[in-house]
Amino acid sequence: MKHMIKILTLAAVLTLAGPAAAYDIEAWNSAIPDQPEHVLIRNATLWTADEAGILEQADLLIHRGRIERIGEDLRAPRAAVEIDASGRHVTPGLIDAHSHAAITGGINESSLISTAMVHIGDVINADSINIYRQMAGGLTTMHLMHGSANAIGGQNVIVKLRWGADPDDMIIDGQPGVIKFALGENPKQSNWQPDTPRYPNSRQGVNQIIDEKFQTAREYAEQHAEPSGRDRVPPRPSLEMDVLVDILEGEIDVHSHGYRADEFIALLRTAERHGFRIKALHHVLEGYKVADEMAEHGAGGSTFSDWYGFKYEARDAIPYNAALMHERGVLTSLNSDNPELARRMNVEAAKTVRYGGMEEHEALKLVTANPARQLGLSERIGRLAEGLDADIVIWNGSPLSVTSRVDQTWIDGRRYFDRQRDLEARERWEDERQRLIALVRAESEADEEDEAEEKPESPDADVPEAESDPDPDPDRGMNVLRKLLGGA
Amino acid sequence: MMPTRILLATCLLLAALTTRAEPVAYIGATVHPVSGPTMADAAVLVEDGRITAIGDDLQLPGNARIIDLSGLHLYPGMVHAGTVLGLTEIGSVAGTDDTTETGQINAAIRAEIGINHDSMLFAPNVTGGLLTAHVVPRGGLIRGSSAVIGLAGWNWEDMTLHAPAGMHIAFPRGAADDEEDEDLALIDQTLDAARAWGRAMSAHRDGGAPEPAPNDQLAALLPLIEGEGRLFLHADRERDMHAALDWAEHQGFEDVVLVGGPDLQHLAERLATADVPVILTGAHVMPQRGWEPYDAAYVAAAALHEAGVRFAMTDGGSGFTAGNARHIPFQAGMAVAFGLDREAALKSVTQWPAEIIGVGDQLGTLEAGKRATFFAASGSPLEATTQITRAWIDGEEYDFSRDRQRRLYQRYKSRPQPGE
Repeated sequence: MKHMIKILTLAAVLTLAGPAAAYDIEAWNSAIPDQPEHVLIRNATLWTADEAGILEQADLLIHRGRIERIGEDLRAPRAAVEIDASGRHVTPGLIDAHSHAAITGGINESSLISTAMVHIGDVINADSINIYRQMAGGLTTMHLMHGSANAIGGQNVIVKLRWGADPDDMIIDGQPGVIKFALGENPKQSNWQPDTPRYPNSRQGVNQIIDEKFQTAREYAEQHAEPSGRDRVPPRPSLEMDVLVDILEGEIDVHSHGYRADEFIALLRTAERHGFRIKALHHVLEGYKVADEMAEHGAGGSTFSDWYGFKYEARDAIPYNAALMHERGVLTSLNSDNPELARRMNVEAAKTVRYGGMEEHEALKLVTANPARQLGLSERIGRLAEGLDADIVIWNGSPLSVTSRVDQTWIDGRRYFDRQRDLEARERWEDERQRLIALVRAESEADEEDEAEEKPESPDADVPEAESDPDPDPDRGMNVLRKLLGGA
Repeated sequence: MMPTRILLATCLLLAALTTRAEPVAYIGATVHPVSGPTMADAAVLVEDGRITAIGDDLQLPGNARIIDLSGLHLYPGMVHAGTVLGLTEIGSVAGTDDTTETGQINAAIRAEIGINHDSMLFAPNVTGGLLTAHVVPRGGLIRGSSAVIGLAGWNWEDMTLHAPAGMHIAFPRGAADDEEDEDLALIDQTLDAARAWGRAMSAHRDGGAPEPAPNDQLAALLPLIEGEGRLFLHADRERDMHAALDWAEHQGFEDVVLVGGPDLQHLAERLATADVPVILTGAHVMPQRGWEPYDAAYVAAAALHEAGVRFAMTDGGSGFTAGNARHIPFQAGMAVAFGLDREAALKSVTQWPAEIIGVGDQLGTLEAGKRATFFAASGSPLEATTQITRAWIDGEEYDFSRDRQRRLYQRYKSRPQPGE
C-alpha cells in the first residue's frame, strides 16, 4: 500500500510537471480543444446522411461549432482553419444508440422489478478510456443506458464524447427524457440463480408488471391532480411514480430492450392501452417478424448487425434484420452495447449492404441520422446539414470500407481526435511511462536498502521482508506498478 | 409436361449423382488463387472434388460441365484457425455447450467426436465463405487435441479432414512471474508421467515388460512427446508468451504454434528468428492496458507481417463468436486499415491458417491438386459490403437455402404487406 501511494504521488507530480501533461491520455488532464471561429473543409466526399445524399468534391464550412454552409468552392472567411480533404470522406459523427461505455460502477440497480427513479446521468464516468478509443473510431454521441435487469429500469442519458469534459458537460442539453425498459430472459432472471426469487419468471409476468405499474401511475396522477384542501391529506409522493407519469405524459421516451416478437407485440399493446408510445425497441432481434406492427405503432428498432445464438431468445436473430425492418418502414438504427464494438460502427453499417442489400448511403444512416431521430435529437446531430452541430468524422476512404481509418473526429467544431496528433503524442506518453518506471525502480531499491538496515522494534511489529524473505524481490516496486498499469 | 418442381428435383438428383464423375469447368470468374497473381476471366477445372488445372487459356475437356461465374470473383474457402464451431449451439443453454471440459488435464479430449454436424451455426458460416475450421477444445491447462473439419458432411467422421491436428496447452497466467507456479508444475508432472508411461509401454512392447495400466490422458500426449504432434500453446500477455516459448524450448518441443492476442507483436523478432507461426486471436479487441495506444490491437498483424512471422487471423474462437466465425475477414480488414497489405490480410484467413493447422497441402489456396473448396463473391471478402453468392466444398455445391437465417429472411420478406 505504501508503494501504491508513492507511485500515485509520483504520477501526479510527473504529469503536472512534465512536458507530457497536455497530451497524457487521460481525460482529467486533457484540455478541451479550441473551437476555431471558422473551419473550412475542402474537396471532400460528403456523406450527408440527409436528402442531399453523397456530394463529391464538396466544401463544408463550420462556424462556432455549427455547420454553416455546404457547397462548392466556398470562400474561406478570414483566419479560418482550412483542411484539404481531397480524396477523403466526411460523415456526420457516428451515434451509438445503446451504450454502457462510460458509466461508473453498476449499470443495473437490479434490486426491484421497477427502478424508474434511478438515473444513469448521475454516474457518468468522464475518465473512461473507452471515450477516447471510441472517438478514435468516429463515434461522437452515445446513449448511455441503464442495464436490462428490470422490466422498468432506470433513466438514461445522451452524451457527446467530449474527452476531457466534466461528466455534466458531456450531457447534450435540451435532450428528451429517456428510460430503459427490458423484456425477456434478463428481467425474468433466466440465466442466473438469484439469491431470492423475484416475480416475474415469465414473459406474461413481465408484461403484467409493466401494465400494473402504469395502472398505479395513472391513479397516482389522478390523486395528485385533485386539489388538496383542509380535509384532505395529499398523497404520498413517489419518485418512481413521478417518472412513470412523465412517461404517460410523453415527457420521457421509452427505449425497451427485448428479443422476441411476442414480447414486442405485448409491450406495444400495453403502451397503447395506457395511451403512450414506445419510442424504440432495442436489440429487437426478431423485429423483422413484427416490423409492420412496429411501424404502425411508430416504434423504431435499434439492433445488432449480426449477433445471434448467444442465448435462446437470440436463436432466430438474422443479420438481415436491420435491412428488413428498414424496408418495412421501421426507423432503424444499429448499436454496439459494447465499448469495443462501438469503435467501428461504420463496419456494422456496412454489413447491412451484404445482408439485405441496403444502399450504402441508407446504410450509413443506421449509425447517424436514424439514431439521432430515435433519440429525439435530429435537429442537432446525425446529419451534415446547415444549422446542425459540427460533429464530423474525416475518413481516409469510404466510411463503409472495413479497410478505412478515421483521420479526425470533430465534436462541436472542436478537433477532439486527430490521428496525426495521437501518433506524435505517443512518444511523449511512452517517455513518461519509462521515467515513472525508472523512478519506481529507484524507490524500491532504496526501500530495500532501508529495510535491510531496519530492526524490528518488537516481536509484534511487522517483520520486514528483508528478514522474512531471504531473497528479496528486486522487482517488487515494478510489480506494484504493473498491477496499477494493468499487467504487461 | 413434368411439373417444374419434379423437373427441378430430377435435375438436382442428376447433378448430385454426376458431381464426382465428370470434370467441371468454372469459367468467367476473376480467380484469386492467393498463392499467385489474380487472373481475370480464368477457368478452374475440377475432377472428383479436386482442382486439376487453373489458367486463363485452359483447354477444357469436351465432356466438362460448365459453370459460368462471369462477373464474380473466386476465392479459396476461408479457413478459421481456432473456433468452437460444432461444439456449441446456444451459449446460455448448458445442454448445448460442449466447448469446455472440466478439470485441468484433458489431454484425452478429442474435439471432433463432439461435433454436431447439423448445428444451425454451420450453414450461415458456409454461406459467408468459411469452408474449413480448426475446432479447438477449451477446458483446463492441457485441453486436448483439435480437429480440422470441412463445414459440410453427413456426420463428424465425414467432415473431419485432419485429427488430431495438435495438442493444446494453455500456459498458466502468472507462471512467468512465479517459478513455483502450481499450474505449470502440474503440466510438467503430467508430461513427465506421460514420458514414463511411454517408456513403460515401449518396454512392454519391445521387451516383454509388464504392461502399464491403461491411461488415456498420458497416451494422448505421446505424439507430442515423441515429436510427431504439433503443440498449440496459448498465452495472452507478452511476459507469458516469452515464458511459454522458453518453456517449450526447455521441454524440447519443436513444432510449436503460439496462440494469443495483440501482445504477439511485441515478440515479432523472436518469433521470426525461431520460425514460430502464430494464431492471432483477433484485431477487434481492446488494447489490453489503459495506457496503450487506441490502435494497439489493430496494428499487431502488420507488425507480425513486417517481421516475417506467418500468422492466422481469428476472432478468439469463443462460443460467442462461433456463429459469426465467417466474419474473420473483417478482422483482417481492420488490420489493413492500420498498415497490413491486402494480400497478407487475405492470406491470414486462407493460406496461412491452412498451413498452420496442418492442411496446407490440401486447402488455403487455389492450385492444382488441392481440394475444390472455394466460393464466389461480388468482390473482396475483406469488405462487409461484398455479397457471397455460391460455395463449393470438395467440388460439391453447397445449398445456400440450408442457411436458416436466409430462410427466415425470405419468409418474412415475403410477408404480405398490410392492406395487400
